[in-house]
Amino acid sequence: MSTIAELMTHDHRACDHDFARAETLAAENDWQGASEALEAFAHGLNAHFDAEEQQLFPAFEAATGMTQGPTQVMRGEHVDMRAALERLRAALQARDADDFAGEAETLLIMMQQHNMKEENILYPMCDARLAHARDELCSHLSQALAVEHTS
Amino acid sequence: MSSANPGLAYEDTPPLSAPLRFFLTAPLFGMCAGLVLLFGDGVLGSRWTPGALAAVHLLAAGFMLQVMIGALQQILPVVAGVRFPAVLGVASSSHALLTFGAAGLAGGLAFGLPDAIIGGAMLLLGGIGIFLIAALAGLIRSPSVKIPSHAPRDLRLAMAGLAVTAVLGLALALAIGRGATLPIPLAQAVDLHAAWGWLGWGGILLAATSWVVVPMFQITPSYPARFTRWWAPAVLAGLASWSLARSFDAEGTGIVLGIALMLASGVFSVQTLRLQSRTRRSTPDAPFHAFRAAMLAMLAGIAALGGNLVVDSDHWSVLAGVLILHGGFAGAISAMLYKIVPFLAWLHLTQAGIRAPNMKKLLPDTPVKQQLKLHLAVLAALVLGVFADTVARIAGLLMLIEFGWLLLNMLRVVRNWQRARET
Repeated sequence: MSTIAELMTHDHRACDHDFARAETLAAENDWQGASEALEAFAHGLNAHFDAEEQQLFPAFEAATGMTQGPTQVMRGEHVDMRAALERLRAALQARDADDFAGEAETLLIMMQQHNMKEENILYPMCDARLAHARDELCSHLSQALAVEHTS
Repeated sequence: MSSANPGLAYEDTPPLSAPLRFFLTAPLFGMCAGLVLLFGDGVLGSRWTPGALAAVHLLAAGFMLQVMIGALQQILPVVAGVRFPAVLGVASSSHALLTFGAAGLAGGLAFGLPDAIIGGAMLLLGGIGIFLIAALAGLIRSPSVKIPSHAPRDLRLAMAGLAVTAVLGLALALAIGRGATLPIPLAQAVDLHAAWGWLGWGGILLAATSWVVVPMFQITPSYPARFTRWWAPAVLAGLASWSLARSFDAEGTGIVLGIALMLASGVFSVQTLRLQSRTRRSTPDAPFHAFRAAMLAMLAGIAALGGNLVVDSDHWSVLAGVLILHGGFAGAISAMLYKIVPFLAWLHLTQAGIRAPNMKKLLPDTPVKQQLKLHLAVLAALVLGVFADTVARIAGLLMLIEFGWLLLNMLRVVRNWQRARET
C-alpha cells in the first residue's frame, strides 16, 4: 500500500497532464477538444479537492486538533484555484486564446506552489500523524479521486 | 513538529516589498557590469584585469546574489517549511548590506581601492550572515518530516556553499587590501573562491531549485531519484576534496577531481535538457527557451574550462567565465525572474481580495521575448569580445541595455500591480 504522499502526489501529476492537454489543444485552436480536456481536468481537480476537504483534512484535523492550521490555508487556496478555473472556462467559452494562455499560466503557477506545500510539508505530516489509519484512508481517498488517475 | 502552522499560512507570505527590493536592485548591477565593459580598457583580455574582476563581482555578488537571496526568502517557506523571523527586518538589513557591499567591492576592484575592497567584502559578509542566521533560525523551527524530495536538503547545502564562498572572499580581500598572509598562494585561493561560488553555492542552488521547478512548472518527468539523492552531496564532497588537493599541492589528484566536478556539472545540464525536451506543455514560452539556452551555455562554459586544463591561456578562463556567469546563471535567473515577479504581484493582489489581472496581463510575452533574445545577442558579443576588445565594448553597451530592459520589464509588473490596487 502506498503512502498518502505517494497517492496524492501521483494524482497531482495526473491533473498536470490533463491541464497540459487542455493547454495544448487551446493553443492549436481546437476549442472543442480543449473544452473536453478542460472538463476532464476540472473533474480530476475537483475530485482531488473534494477528497482532501472531505476525508484527508478532517482526519488530519481530528488527529492533531489543528483546525486553523495548514488545512485551513489549503482550503483557502482551493477556493482561489476554483475561481481561477472558472476564469479559464470563461476564456475558453469566449475562444480568447491570449486570455486562455494568461489564465492557464496563472492557474498553473498557483497550482504548483500549492502542490509544493502539500507534497513537501502537509502530506508528510499526514503520513506521520495518521500512520495508524493510513491504509484505510488511502483506500477511501483512491475511491474518491478521479478514476482515470488512480490506474 | 515544532510549529502549529509551519510555512503554510497566508500570513507567512512576506510583504511584496521584501523580495521585490532584491529583484529591482539586481539589474542595476548588471547595468554597471555593462558600463565596466563599455568604458574599461582590455577588460576581457585576462581574468586578472581590474575591469574583469569588477565585472565578475558585479554579476556574481551583485546581480546573482541579490536575486538568489530574494528568491530563497520566497522558496524556503514553500519547499522547506521555513518561517523567517522578522521577515521585513531581515530583508531590509541584508538588502542594504549586500547592495553597498557589492558596490564597494566592485568599485574597489575596478579602481584599485584597498579600503573599498575590504569594506565591501565585510558588508557583503554581514548581509550574507544576517540572511543565513535568519534562515538557520527558521530551519530549526521548521517541521522535521520525511519527504522524498531532496530539494530542501540541497538548499541547505547551497547555503553552506555560500558561507564558504563568502569567508574565502573576505580572506582574499584582506590579502589583497591589507597584505594579510594566506596559507596558500593567492592564485590558488582565488580558484577556490571561484569554484565554491560557482558550484558550491550557485550550482547546487540552481540544481535544488530545478529539482522542483523543472518537473512541476514545465510539466516534465521528474529527475531520476538516484540522481537527485547523490548529485549535490557528491558535488560538495568533490569540491571539498578538490580544495584540499589544491591546498596541499597534490596536483594529479586535483586535476582528476577537477575533471570529475566539471563532468558532474555537465551531467546536471544534460539531464535538465533531456527532461525539458519531454515537456508536456506544447507552447514553451520565452523563459523556457532561455532556461534551455542557459543549460547549453553552462555546457559550453565547462568545455572552455576543459580547454583551460589542456592549454593554460587567458582566453579559455575568460571564455568560461563569460559563458557560465552571463550565459548560464544570468540567463537562468532572468528566466526565473519573469515567472517569480508577476506571480508574486498576482498572489499579493489575490490575497488582498483584489481581482488580479492574469500573469500575461501583468507582464505581456512580447517584451519578455525581446529582452531574452537580446540576452543571447549579448552573450554572442561577449564571446567574440574575448578575442576582440572593440567587440567587448559593444557587448558592454548591449549588456547595459539588456539589464536596463530587464529592470523596465520588472517595473512594468510593479506599475500594473499598482494600477490593479487603485481600481
